[in-house]
Amino acid sequence: MSEAMAHKRPALLNTFIYDFIVLWVILAAVPFLWTVWGSFKVEADFFSRESWWNAIFGTATMRETGAAFTGDGYYGAWITRDFWKAAFNTIIVTICVTTISLTLGTLGGYALARSGKNYAFWILIAALVFRAMPHITLVSGYLLPFFQLNIWGVLPTSIIVLVAINQPFTLWMLHSFFLSIPKDLDESAMVDGCTRFQAFRLVIMPVMWPGVVTTGLFSFLLGYNDFAVTAMLLSAENQTMVPKISSFLGSIQETGNVMFAVAAVVSATVPLFILVLFFQRQIVSGLTAGAVKG
Amino acid sequence: MAQIRLKNVSKRWNKFVGVDNFNLDIADQEFLVLLGPSGCGKTTTMRMIAGLEEITEGEIWIGERMVNKLEPKDRDISMVFQSYGLYPNMTVYENIRFPLKVRRIPQDQHHERVMKAAAMVELEPFLERRPAALSGGQRQRVALARAIVREPNAFLMDEPLSNLDAKLRVSTRAQIKNLHHALKTTTIYVTHDQIEAMTLADRVVVMNKGLVQQVGTPMEIYDRPANTFVASFIGSPAMNLVSGSIENGVFTSDGIRIEGLPHRASGAVTLGFRAEDANLAEANGQIEAPIYTVELLGEATMLSMRVAGELVSIKVGKDYRAEIGDLARIAIPASACHIFDQSTGARIEA
Amino acid sequence: MPNKTFFAFILPSLIAMVLFIALPIVSVVVQSLYVSHEQIMVEVENCQPFGGCSTELRVDTAATAALREEQPLGRFNGLGTYVNRAHLATTELGVILSSERSIGEKWAQILNLPFYKALIFTLVYCFVVTPLAMALGFTIALAVNALPKVTKGPIIFFSLLPMIITPLIGSLILYWMLSPNGILGATIQHIFNDPTLSLRASPALTWGALLTYGVWTNAPFSFVVFYAGLQTVPGDTLESAMIDGASRWERIRYVIIPHLAPLATFVALVQLMDNFRVFEPIVGFSAEANATSLSWLIYNDLTGDSQQFGSAGATSVLTILGVVILLSPVLVRTWREFKHKAV
Ligand SMILES: Nc1ncnc2c1ncn2[C@@H]1O[C@H](COP(=O)(O)OP(=O)(O)OP(=O)(O)O)[C@@H](O)[C@H]1O
Ligand SMILES: [Mg+2]
Repeated sequence: MSEAMAHKRPALLNTFIYDFIVLWVILAAVPFLWTVWGSFKVEADFFSRESWWNAIFGTATMRETGAAFTGDGYYGAWITRDFWKAAFNTIIVTICVTTISLTLGTLGGYALARSGKNYAFWILIAALVFRAMPHITLVSGYLLPFFQLNIWGVLPTSIIVLVAINQPFTLWMLHSFFLSIPKDLDESAMVDGCTRFQAFRLVIMPVMWPGVVTTGLFSFLLGYNDFAVTAMLLSAENQTMVPKISSFLGSIQETGNVMFAVAAVVSATVPLFILVLFFQRQIVSGLTAGAVKG
Repeated sequence: MAQIRLKNVSKRWNKFVGVDNFNLDIADQEFLVLLGPSGCGKTTTMRMIAGLEEITEGEIWIGERMVNKLEPKDRDISMVFQSYGLYPNMTVYENIRFPLKVRRIPQDQHHERVMKAAAMVELEPFLERRPAALSGGQRQRVALARAIVREPNAFLMDEPLSNLDAKLRVSTRAQIKNLHHALKTTTIYVTHDQIEAMTLADRVVVMNKGLVQQVGTPMEIYDRPANTFVASFIGSPAMNLVSGSIENGVFTSDGIRIEGLPHRASGAVTLGFRAEDANLAEANGQIEAPIYTVELLGEATMLSMRVAGELVSIKVGKDYRAEIGDLARIAIPASACHIFDQSTGARIEA
Repeated sequence: MPNKTFFAFILPSLIAMVLFIALPIVSVVVQSLYVSHEQIMVEVENCQPFGGCSTELRVDTAATAALREEQPLGRFNGLGTYVNRAHLATTELGVILSSERSIGEKWAQILNLPFYKALIFTLVYCFVVTPLAMALGFTIALAVNALPKVTKGPIIFFSLLPMIITPLIGSLILYWMLSPNGILGATIQHIFNDPTLSLRASPALTWGALLTYGVWTNAPFSFVVFYAGLQTVPGDTLESAMIDGASRWERIRYVIIPHLAPLATFVALVQLMDNFRVFEPIVGFSAEANATSLSWLIYNDLTGDSQQFGSAGATSVLTILGVVILLSPVLVRTWREFKHKAV
């Protein structure tokens, strides 16, 4: 449709459309490109008092390190300030959160999609309300009990909490994916001799992979992007990347090593870039799956 | 193989009644057809037998076992779904083999049994394909093969032919009939197509709004409908129904008068007669009315005329020609008349 | 599905949600009714060899610690926390409203009360960012839809980045660019020719930066959903509108927008929910002097040197009430539909 109509569009409108898109892409992408570029400079360039051309040419970087690019920020963040440990923790947290969320979510989402009872409907509505809870309000309910139980500060606690916070969303999304698989399929399987669980495992899961991958991406993002839970529930030595970056800010700005934080920020952004690069289609389909089902 | 018995079976969702007090004994090896209009509870009944739907009230027995609490897998039945329910990620061969695999039937029998089932429904050339690469008729046959690959107590089939085109429907219907003849497995078959019901069934159950209207052989249902619903549902065109009154074996209404009926009832009744039982009258007929339309069907001509406010259809010879508005005289033999109670709709016997 | 099977499947998920979402809500409510113990004072008689004795009050550290250990919740305070100055500030509000000042002054004073300051910013953020982001997203969707096919993929790729980015990181990136020495901050100073202009110094600039960040990070979601919706606009309707003589704008107005309306409700709901918990940008922009949000208030209570669970709890409860009010149209509608279906 669009291509057929394109040549009938007035030239002025066309120019406007192209200009607008170019502007939007600049807005969307340039902050990232600028920060990635700047992370290889010294602070005097990236936060230049004289002219931002310095950041492009690396005038101060040249003066201080002898080359136009420097990895000092990365060295400082990853080695001096132990960012590698935070990265490692993030890997553990995201992998665990994603797998546990999906395991619980597929089971629950399947039950919700197949039940048809009133209580299943109310569970979904409750999940919708839970989904709207600001995470920090829940965190303020965790702290005191967690101190009492002496489980504050360690990774497993944060993982379980993130899984739970993630459940409402996961349930909704998987539930709508399961609804798109015909009920006949599991019913044939049960008549053919499967238990409900066998039907789920042998017949439904093999055709559910696209939905599971898509939902998994969003679980991953939740675990990866979280700040409220990990910042409050992890002790300093167990921090993941995002709270670690935030704790950099306080201490580093004073010592003038803000470039450590910039390098850490860029490092934490790279996996997200790669994710979008490879899973663009699934992300788009996941965003719209919720919309179609309402 | 087994007999199946339904005792006072009901299904309700909140207040909505899907199936109401269903009682039936299905004999071993019988081919039973559930027939009724859309939404009358046929699928629900079948799914309760299969264990896919919880039973609100009553008991279902398969063979000597009460199965109310049994899982579908433990009822040992096989089912063919309206939309086939094939496993899209498995080949045809794996689809047919699946019931053997999950029921832990010894591996060495699998190949032989799958091939035998595939041969019965002529599927051998397609065994390595996935369901997505099959036509509707072929998918239908995979579903059948998957049902017959083991020897269950009973086959349940829910409108298995409804997704096929007219020609394929006729040939697959024949195939099902032949399979039943060969395997002699008790079969419950759901349809809303009365031709399927008439051609396949040993007995037909006619349902409406969750209630059983009549149980009988196809001939009984056609010849002696139990009430006006069955009368108007079976036959093509449906039985003509005219309300009027009867007195001393004489039925009268506006534009119609039939004498010599054997019925002793009197009062307000509904008269039923089939289009094919009426004829052109030689002299003065039981109906005399202007023709409303004339339809040429090829093998016959269908007249319709307005009698007592109803349009009635009359099947006459294929060479009959008349204009709309012409007066026609129709003879209805008293022996071909059915009398129903006007308020309950129930059949009144002679 | 029989009840037993249903619960067997959903139980793990349900337990997780009850333990870590429902119970914490209860715990928050309970906490909000307590305040931490006051320090226990003891009178100590201080006798000097030659000066006689004097009594003085001292903090009994050991006893205080023991009491806090014993009753970690603190002492019962009823609704006291809710009405104090840091929350609903009923007394202060009454004084301000009944004073003889002008509306502007009253407003400024209300903005000085921490809870109202946070509430107002949160609401402004919700109700400014959501419609702007939706409008921007819709425009991008229309524009991208008009582009040749090959360019769509890369544009969608770049468009997704602002949404997928970790909120704290995204706001840091913008913050650095906007800081006085950053590329944008320096440019702004240059444009307004005011070398003191900075985020820290100017509340208006802070609000503007936060709202811009909000639109930047929210627009991609609207874009993607609307773009997907545009692919399903019925071609026939569009063509018959063209034959009927509808202009380009009229086609958008009478065919495309009505088609996308249900999607718009969905997007608005999701984005309102997400924007109501706005929090990371305030940390990222170090904006707390000029703008705070409800979530940030709770965070602040929990992170300080002495964690104020009672205060955090009260703000949390008020926030949850806000969420429920925000969701109430949806809940009421769902309830009605459900009633309707059941009868
Ligand atoms: N899960 C359910 N909840 C509520 N009502 C239902 C449910 N399933 C079926 N019904 C209702 O029960 C009635 C009987 O449904 P059923 O599927 O048995 O009809 P059917 O005779 O098979 O019709 P068709 O020929 O259209 O397949 C219908 O009115 C239907 O709306
Ligand atoms: Mg049916």
